[in-house]
Amino acid sequence: MSEPVKIRPAPTPTNLTQRFWQGAADEKLMLQFDPASNRFQFYPRPASLETGKQNLEWRTASGKGIIYSFTITHVPAAGFEDKVPYAVGLVELDEGVRVVANLVNVDPEQLAIGQRVRLCWETLPDDKRYFAFELDD
Amino acid sequence: MTQNHLINRDIAIVAYGETPIERRSGKTTFEFAAAAMEQILSRTGLRPADIGGFATNIAHSESANQYATAYLCDSLGLTPRFMQVSDHGGGAALASVSRGAMALQAGLCDCVLVLGADAPTTQWHGKNLGFRPEFWDPTGIQGPPGAFGFLMHRYMHQYQLKFEALGKLAVTQRDGALANPNALPSLRKAITLDDYLNSRIVSSPLRLLDSVMFADGGAGVLMMRTERARALGLTRFVHPTAYAEITNFNGRATLPDITQTGFSVVGPEVLDKAGLKPAGVRMFHPYDDFLIAVMLQLEQSGFCKGGEGSDFLLATDISRTGALPINTGGGQISCGQIGLASGFTNLVEAVRQMFGEAEGRQVTDPRNAMVTGIGIIPYGGNWSVSAAMILEQG
Repeated sequence: MSEPVKIRPAPTPTNLTQRFWQGAADEKLMLQFDPASNRFQFYPRPASLETGKQNLEWRTASGKGIIYSFTITHVPAAGFEDKVPYAVGLVELDEGVRVVANLVNVDPEQLAIGQRVRLCWETLPDDKRYFAFELDD
Repeated sequence: MTQNHLINRDIAIVAYGETPIERRSGKTTFEFAAAAMEQILSRTGLRPADIGGFATNIAHSESANQYATAYLCDSLGLTPRFMQVSDHGGGAALASVSRGAMALQAGLCDCVLVLGADAPTTQWHGKNLGFRPEFWDPTGIQGPPGAFGFLMHRYMHQYQLKFEALGKLAVTQRDGALANPNALPSLRKAITLDDYLNSRIVSSPLRLLDSVMFADGGAGVLMMRTERARALGLTRFVHPTAYAEITNFNGRATLPDITQTGFSVVGPEVLDKAGLKPAGVRMFHPYDDFLIAVMLQLEQSGFCKGGEGSDFLLATDISRTGALPINTGGGQISCGQIGLASGFTNLVEAVRQMFGEAEGRQVTDPRNAMVTGIGIIPYGGNWSVSAAMILEQG
């Protein structure tokens, strides 16, 4: 009897996140920007976390940042069995907001908190483009 | 600071119940709830008809059941005039006790059965939605182990984390489970510091023995106004005397220090409400999904300074005979985590100690306890719900 095939989950865009996914298709990491508090926020929310207003704008991230923290996954999530070990970072963008993303194109053992990283792109199993980061040298 | 609603010892926990914890039990959540309820009824001489209020948690195993709480009442023969389900993740046990006390004080009912049960290793209906399908799952990060990996790694960057301190906690809690017949049988084996240090990495720097294991089980308490308990001739009470909770701590901050948790708010606040200093806490029963969480709670509640949790743990006797017994029954890490009823394990162990019934692991003079709850993983933070309660012996 063969093992059931494990599928990496494919995200489904919602009305709220459409703009993020449109940007991703063009390899642009889209962040919400709150003009009243002059702050970025991520992931996409229905309103400004500071004012509660829905007058949010979308802006393209510079794609530069640092590793605030990271973890190397040794026990994989379903669909990631062939990637072990893989690194996931909590990346602090220069825009002043943090994002959760894979840290790729590097031996995970070479990673350290505080390293500069730059945006890169991967392809999900359903062909969507998805943001990741690699070391910025 | 919020107001303390648990004043004058006017609320009493008069009984507790707890099932043995099992893995892949094949039983439903409702069966575990019934088993815990049966113990409580037999200890108090009450019948289902006498249960005026009912409070419980959402369960992984029943989360697709839109009417789980009412159907649980239907299943148990309960006809409550106050019904409450708490959606605080691991904070649900304490949130339920707090809300049950409010219902009693408001006169909505004359007793509240606070029951937790879940059977996630038999049946799983939970779905992690919100930000997770689009902004978390595509990276392959594990849920709680991934978030605690971030947290632990950042803590190591900012402070000194001594793994032998977490190992001491692991070994001490395991010793408690050895004396706890309700702990998961597979966890009732002694471990050493080396076992902890050599356990495999799950989501770095988090090890397997830093982490809980899911299991099935049920536990609960019965509470009423103290004056009614006396009128019924009941003589042993545990009074909840202070409570504080916060949800989504730092939730508007774009660049929070993730080593700062909601316990920096609720820890000092609950002690202040109870008129206690950390040194006056006789026992600590902290929510322990991961060992690092216990260390952060100690620091942020004021048992020691921020960043000094390792040295505090190494310098303090945290065994049942020590100055600050911690999770004397093994905690969740050495008993098994009973799904979203998990916080009941810490709560019921504190109550059992204060009833003087913790055979084989009884703390002398168990006059008070601090119990906590933690719930739910937020985006890029530590945890969403932080809850803390002080219990005092009647």
